[in-house]
Amino acid sequence: MNQWEVFVMDMSELAEGKDIQISIRTLNPGMHKYTYKHVRAQVSSTLDKFPDQLQVRMGRGQLSPAKFSIKVIEEIRRLPPQYS
Amino acid sequence: MSKISAPRSNREFIEACVKAGDAVRIKQEVDWENEAGAIVRRACELGAAAPFMEKIKDYPGFSYFGAPLSTYRRMAISLGMDPASSLPEIGKEYLARTNSEPIAPVVIDRKDAPCKENILMGADVDLCKLPVPLVHDGDGGRYVGTWHAVVTKHPVRGDVNWGMYRQMMFDSRTMSGAVFPFSDLGKQLSEYYLPRGISCPFATAIGLSPLAAMAACAPSPIPEPELVGMLSGEPARLVKCETNDLEVPADAEIIIEGEICPDYKVEEGPFGEYTGYRTSPRDFRVTFRVNCITYRNNATMTISNMGVPQDEGQLLRSFSLGLELEKLLRSQGIPVTGVYMHPRSTHHMMIVGVKPAYTGIAQQIAQLAFGSKLGPWFHMVMVVDDQTDIYNWDEVYHAFCTRCHPENGIHIYRNTTGTPLYPFATPHERKYSIGSKVLFDCLWPVDWDKTNDVPTLVSFKNVYPKDIQERVLSNWTAYGYPAVK
Repeated sequence: MNQWEVFVMDMSELAEGKDIQISIRTLNPGMHKYTYKHVRAQVSSTLDKFPDQLQVRMGRGQLSPAKFSIKVIEEIRRLPPQYS
Repeated sequence: MSKISAPRSNREFIEACVKAGDAVRIKQEVDWENEAGAIVRRACELGAAAPFMEKIKDYPGFSYFGAPLSTYRRMAISLGMDPASSLPEIGKEYLARTNSEPIAPVVIDRKDAPCKENILMGADVDLCKLPVPLVHDGDGGRYVGTWHAVVTKHPVRGDVNWGMYRQMMFDSRTMSGAVFPFSDLGKQLSEYYLPRGISCPFATAIGLSPLAAMAACAPSPIPEPELVGMLSGEPARLVKCETNDLEVPADAEIIIEGEICPDYKVEEGPFGEYTGYRTSPRDFRVTFRVNCITYRNNATMTISNMGVPQDEGQLLRSFSLGLELEKLLRSQGIPVTGVYMHPRSTHHMMIVGVKPAYTGIAQQIAQLAFGSKLGPWFHMVMVVDDQTDIYNWDEVYHAFCTRCHPENGIHIYRNTTGTPLYPFATPHERKYSIGSKVLFDCLWPVDWDKTNDVPTLVSFKNVYPKDIQERVLSNWTAYGYPAVK
């Protein structure tokens, strides 16, 4: 199980029941902790629905009490190929 | 000018600070995740010695140096002055050196450059190999650049810019940062690179000599490599980058080379800012793609922890903004007695002392200040007369509360350049960097009769004859009071 975190300005950004695109950062221990991926994912407020956990912070870094489970469907590469 | 003996590198600076009692060596292991940041923050809030953290969890061989210039004592050490030097003495020295002849940098061979001792290229490039700290809990990421210089160059004019633009690690090869459109780099990007869709080469230098950091932080028109030479009295030592033509400080601890992407932005922030708040929203910001990392053996990463006063961002920015404005006002022939920003204003209030020679002089000062390239960084100008000690907040506050007419003395300037960092700004103003400014004119009006209209200041120095003052001072301890320093 992986642990992720997301920053949102509004909880409506975490719509359930459909694919959403979000930038999430890993909270897994290790030197890559807090690095981001941009992903297509599904989230649910039912904590055992999806395999990974998602913690939420608001726009100024405040930790939200809301918890989600998340399924990362795919990583989306936004980086133009010339910078690879 | 006498020979300057200033620390030439971050390492020499740390040694000088330790020797003076202005840095402490922390031998026990410190966690890069919050703990190091919390130590630096507490040191800032206490005005304590700078923490030199010699053992970082997960990063053997690396160290941190926090709060490098968050006190005037350390600023004096950085200039090679007596740590006990007063602020006016430090300011006078800064003005003398920065009004001297420019000293051009020298470019040295890469084999002589300490920053080339380790080189990561290609698949080896990974920012996570550096001990990038999580400075504040709740920050949007680990911040690579908090006390550093982002080096760029205008491709046609050749202007070199070193600026302190915060940089967050987004992933192993990507950083994002706040580069405001009114900044030197912001202008360079919008004028040249973005319209052409061309990437802008950059190099981030971390662990600079304190005077190189001072130069990167100063809003001076002098190119930073020359400014470093003027401040230190000898040429700055530069070395060419591995992957682009930029030249970087050879004695820096860490160099990150890459390109600013004109067509790709990732999220940045939130971050604890110099105002003492997390204000600017998380947003898509200027994005830096990393191609190479070089670093010294046993590299020391410098950390500035911005928050409530006082940290080096506030102290140094206040110092350099004030002195650069003083230079500007003097260049216009305005009879200023001094310019000072109290660091506790988080460099938002400029206090100007002036001989009130003519009507409207306070407005002229405010218009020059707000209209200059310094202007976006503060929104309040307070003008006091030449009898008020601008460094003495008690005097300034008294002048403000008693001489600033609530209607005639307060002048508001609307729709000016702002930043998303202003805590008082509305969400709309933050989004579009809309500012507003205010002048507090604390001068007695020139058309008041000096004898009959201007109130007499009732103070020990002002209302008693000299002989009485001298008698009271010479008898002070005889009266039973302790001596006054």
